[in-house]
Amino acid sequence: MDFLNALVALSNFVIIPAIAYGSQLALGALGVTLIYGILRFSNFAHGDTMAFGAMLAVLITWLLQSMGVSFGPLPTALLALPFAILGTMALVLFTDRVVYRFYREQKAKPVILVIVSMGVMFIMNGLVRFIIGPNDQRFADGERFIISVREFKAMTGLKEGLAIKTTQGITVVVAVICVALLFWFLNRTRTGKSMRAYSDNEDLALLSGINPERVVMYTWLIVAALATTAGVLYGLDKSFKPFVYFQLLLPIFASAIVGGLGSPLGAIAGGFVIAFSEVTITYAWKKVLKYMLPESLEPSSLVQLLSTDYKFAVSFVILIVVLLFKPTGLFKGKSV
Amino acid sequence: MSDTTRTAALFGLVFAMIALTGTMQSWNVALLILNMGLISAIMALGVNLQWGFAGLFNVGVMGFVALGGLAVVLTSAAPVEGAWSAGGWRIVIALLAGAGTIVGTVMVRQRMAAGRARNIATIAILVVGFFLYRGIFDPGVAAVEAINPALQGNLGGLNLPVLLAWPMGGLLAAGVAWLIGKTALGLRSDYLAIATLGIAEIIIAVMKNEDWLARGVKNVVGLERPVPYEIDLQNTSSFVNRAEGLGLDPATASSLFVKLNYSVLFAIVLVIIFVMAQLALKSPWGRMMRAIRDNEVAAEAMGKDVTNRHLQIFVLGSAVCGIAGAMMTTLDGQLTPGTYQPLRYTFLIWVMVIVGGSGNNLGAVLGGFLIWFLWVQVEPMGLWLMEVITAGMPEGSGLKKHLIDSAAHMRLLTMGVILLLVLRFSPRGLIPEK
Amino acid sequence: MTGNPYQDDRGNKDATIANPKGGSEMTPAVGTGKEMNTTDAFLVGDSMTGGYGKDGPDILHDCTIAVNPGEIAVIVGPNGAGKSTGMKAVFGMLNLRQGSVRLDGEDITSLSPQARVAKGMGFVPQVNNIFTSMTVEENLEMGAFIRKDDFLDTMEQVYGLFPILKDKRNQPAGELSGGQRQQVAVGRALMTQPKVLMLDEPTAGVSPIVMDELFDRIIEVSRTGIPILMVEQNARQALEIADKGYVLVQGRNAFTGTGKDLLADEEVRKSFLGG
Repeated sequence: MDFLNALVALSNFVIIPAIAYGSQLALGALGVTLIYGILRFSNFAHGDTMAFGAMLAVLITWLLQSMGVSFGPLPTALLALPFAILGTMALVLFTDRVVYRFYREQKAKPVILVIVSMGVMFIMNGLVRFIIGPNDQRFADGERFIISVREFKAMTGLKEGLAIKTTQGITVVVAVICVALLFWFLNRTRTGKSMRAYSDNEDLALLSGINPERVVMYTWLIVAALATTAGVLYGLDKSFKPFVYFQLLLPIFASAIVGGLGSPLGAIAGGFVIAFSEVTITYAWKKVLKYMLPESLEPSSLVQLLSTDYKFAVSFVILIVVLLFKPTGLFKGKSV
Repeated sequence: MSDTTRTAALFGLVFAMIALTGTMQSWNVALLILNMGLISAIMALGVNLQWGFAGLFNVGVMGFVALGGLAVVLTSAAPVEGAWSAGGWRIVIALLAGAGTIVGTVMVRQRMAAGRARNIATIAILVVGFFLYRGIFDPGVAAVEAINPALQGNLGGLNLPVLLAWPMGGLLAAGVAWLIGKTALGLRSDYLAIATLGIAEIIIAVMKNEDWLARGVKNVVGLERPVPYEIDLQNTSSFVNRAEGLGLDPATASSLFVKLNYSVLFAIVLVIIFVMAQLALKSPWGRMMRAIRDNEVAAEAMGKDVTNRHLQIFVLGSAVCGIAGAMMTTLDGQLTPGTYQPLRYTFLIWVMVIVGGSGNNLGAVLGGFLIWFLWVQVEPMGLWLMEVITAGMPEGSGLKKHLIDSAAHMRLLTMGVILLLVLRFSPRGLIPEK
Repeated sequence: MTGNPYQDDRGNKDATIANPKGGSEMTPAVGTGKEMNTTDAFLVGDSMTGGYGKDGPDILHDCTIAVNPGEIAVIVGPNGAGKSTGMKAVFGMLNLRQGSVRLDGEDITSLSPQARVAKGMGFVPQVNNIFTSMTVEENLEMGAFIRKDDFLDTMEQVYGLFPILKDKRNQPAGELSGGQRQQVAVGRALMTQPKVLMLDEPTAGVSPIVMDELFDRIIEVSRTGIPILMVEQNARQALEIADKGYVLVQGRNAFTGTGKDLLADEEVRKSFLGG
C-alpha cells in the first residue's frame, strides 16, 4: 500500500507535470531545430513567435467566448488554435519576405542571421506587449480536471491523491498528434523529403531541382504551427505572460542542443530530458520518501535538491554535461 | 566626407540631441541620459572586444553586469555584525567543499580508466559531495539569514571605498568568465552562446535567491557613494551661495552637481578603458587577434594558440562589462536583482555594438550613447505619437486608452526596427571597422 | 574580412547558434558576353577563360572541352591543372570572361547550374555528392525531384546497373562504403534521365579494386547512349576507357586526342603517366 501511495505521489507531482512540460518543450525545440537544420541558424525570436501565436489564440478565445461559443468540457482555446496558427504563419512568412530573404540572397553567414533574429525578437516582443500588454492573461476554460484528487481517492481508497488536469491531458494528446504528423510529413511526403534533402546538402538539393524558396516557406509554415501550438499548450497549462515565453528560450535551446541540433527526434528526447531533470531536481521528495522508508529514517527536511528558482540551472547543467561527453548531442545532429 | 569628419559629425549629433533634451526637457534628464550613456558605452566596448575583435558570441552580458553590481555590495557595504561568526565561515567552508567535490570528480575521472567503476565513482563522489555541501551549507545560511531579516540577513561587505568596487566588479566577472570560457571554448566548435545565455540566468537566479549573499529580491539599498549627497550640499552655505550666484535653486543645483560628478568619474573610466582597448588592438596581441578572426586556420598553422587567445579576450571583455555593471549599481545606489532582464542588459548592448559598428571601438561608444538615448526618449516620443494618432478619437474610447497605455512598449519595437535597418542598409554599422 | 559584410562571420564557430553543415557553397555563373564558336559537339565548353569569384585570377585559359553521344571524354592533368575547374565551368559554377557552353546546339552559358540540370545535364560532384542522412532509395527519389512523370522505371534501371544499391535501398546512404556511395551518387544523377552525365573524380579515395568496378559501371552507363564527361586523377586507367582525352596543364588544353593516342604519345607518357 505504501509503495502504491509513493508511486501515486510520484506520478502526481513528478511524472505527470514533467510529461506535460516535456511535451511543450519538445514542440518548441522542434521549431528551433527545424530552423537550425534548414535556415541554418538558431532563431532567437522563437520564444516570441510562440508568444505571438499564443496571444492570437488568447484574443480569438476571448472573441469566441464573447460570442458564446464553447468547446464543451475542452478549452475554447483549442477551437481558436487553427486560426492562431494561420495568423502566426502569415506573420512569419511576412517576416521572411521582408527580413530574412534578403540575407539568403546575399548568402549571409548563419551568425549574421542570428543577429538578424535578435532584431526580429525585439520587434515581436514589442508587438506582443503592444497588443496585449505585459501582464498575465488567463484563457483556459472548460473542465479543469480529467481526474481530481478527491475522485481518485474515492476510486482507489489510497491516501495519496492523483490529479490530471485537462490541460495536461490535452498537451500530451496534441503533442503526440503534432509529432506524428510532422514525422509523417518529413519521411513520407515529397515535400518533406525535399526539406530533409535541403538540410542535408543544400548544393546537391539545388542540383536535384529542389526549389530552396519553397523549402524555406514550408519550414516557416511548420515552425509557425509548432510554435503556436507549443505556446498555446504552455499558456493553457500555466498562464499566458509574454515575458515567460521569452524566458522559455533557454530550456528550449537546451532541449534542442541536448538532443542534437537539427535532429527532430533529438528535439523530442531533449525536451523530456530537460523537463524530467528540472522537475525531479526541484521537487521536494519528502512526500514520496515517507512511504518508501521505514519510520525511523523518515526525512525531517523537504529533501528538495534545489529550490525551484534554479530550474534554469538544471537545464543548463544537463546541457553542459551532455556537451562535454557528446558534443553533437544525444542524437547526432545531422539533418532534419 | 572623410571618415574623421563623419565620426565627429555623428558624435556631435548624439551630444546635440542630449543637449537638446537638456534645454527642452530638463538638464537632470539630460545628465541621466549622459551618465547611463557613458556606462552603456563601456558595456558596448566590452561586447565589441568579444564580438568585434574575436567573433565570440556572448549573449550573457546581463550576468556579467549583475556580477559587477554584486561586487559593489560585497566590497563597499558595511559588514553585518555577527554574520560571519554566526554562519559566514560555515558557508565559505560549504562552498569550498562544493568546489572540492567538483575538482575531486574531475581528478578521479582523469586518474581512473574509463568504465563502469569510474562512472560509479563519479556518481558516488557527486552524490556524497552534494549532501555534504548541503549539510554544511544550509545551517550556515539559516543562521546568517536570521540576523535582523527585515534590514539585513546577509553577510554584508568589506566596508572598502566604493570606487574599489569597480575593479572588483571587473575581477569577479573575469573569474566567472574564465570558468565559462574554459568549458565552453576550445572544442572544434564552441558553444559559448548557449553557455553564456544559461550562466547569465543562473547568476541572476543566485542573486535573487541567495539572501545571505546580497539579500536577494529584498534588495540592498543605500550603498555608499563616491560623490557628495545632495542634502549635504544643500546644507553647505558656500554651495548654496554659488548656486544662487548662477541663478539656480539649491535643490536643482545639488542634483545637477552630483550627476556631473558622476559624469566626470564615468568619463574618466570610459577614456581609460577606451585608450587601453585601442592600444591593445594596435599592439602585436591585437593584430594577432584579428589575424585569428580573419583566418583561424592560417593562424593555427602558424602556431598560435587560438583557444587561449579566445579565452583571454572573452575574460577581458566580460571584465569590462563587470566594471560597467559595478558603476551602474553605484549610480543607482542600490542592488535590485529583480530588475536584470536579458532584453535590456544583453540584447540592447548587442544592438549598440551592431548599430555603432562592430570591430570599431569608437563605433561601439557611439552606439552606446545613441541607442541609450533612443531607449530613453522613444517612450515620450511614442506617447506623443500616440496622442497625435488618437487625437481624433472620442474621449474614453477603449482603443484610445489602449494605444496610449501601450506607448511604453514602443521602445522594444523601435530597437528591433533600428537594428534591422542598420543591418540591412549599413551592415558594418555607423562607424565601420577600417 | 571579405568584401561582402553579410558573409563576414568574424571567425565565429559557435555550433549552437550557426549550423556549419550542409550550407551552399555554389556560386552560379553569369554569361560571358564574349561568345566563342570553334568546335561543334553535343556538349561543348568552348574556349573558356575565367576563375572563381567576381575578380579572382583566371584559372582557365581558352580551354575547350567537348563530348558526343556514346562517348566517354576524360579530363586529366597534373594537380592544380584546372581539371575540376574546367568541369565546373561547363556546369555553370564559374565566372567565365570568355567562351560559350552549348548543349545540343543551344547556348546555355548564362544559365545557373539548376537550370542546366533542367536542360538535361547530370552532374556528380567530387565530394558531398549524396544525401548522407537519407536512405539510398530516398537519394534516388530526390534525384528525380524535377520529374513530373513516373520515375519508377528509371529507378529499376539504376538498380539494374548497380545491384548492390537495391539490396541497401533502405539503408542511410551515409553508412555505405566509399565505392557504394559513389554508385549512389551516379545513380542519383541518372534519375533525371540526363542527356549528358558529368563526373568529377568518381574514383577519388576508393581502392584500386573498387576503382576498376566503378569504371566498368561507367562504361555500362555509357553503353546506354549517354555521353559521359569525367575528370580523373588516375590518368592511365581513365584514358584506357576514354574515347576522347583532354590533358590540361595550367588551365590550357595541352594535348587532345583519343584515349589510345594519348596513351601512346611519348610526351604525354613522359610528363603525366610516369614513363
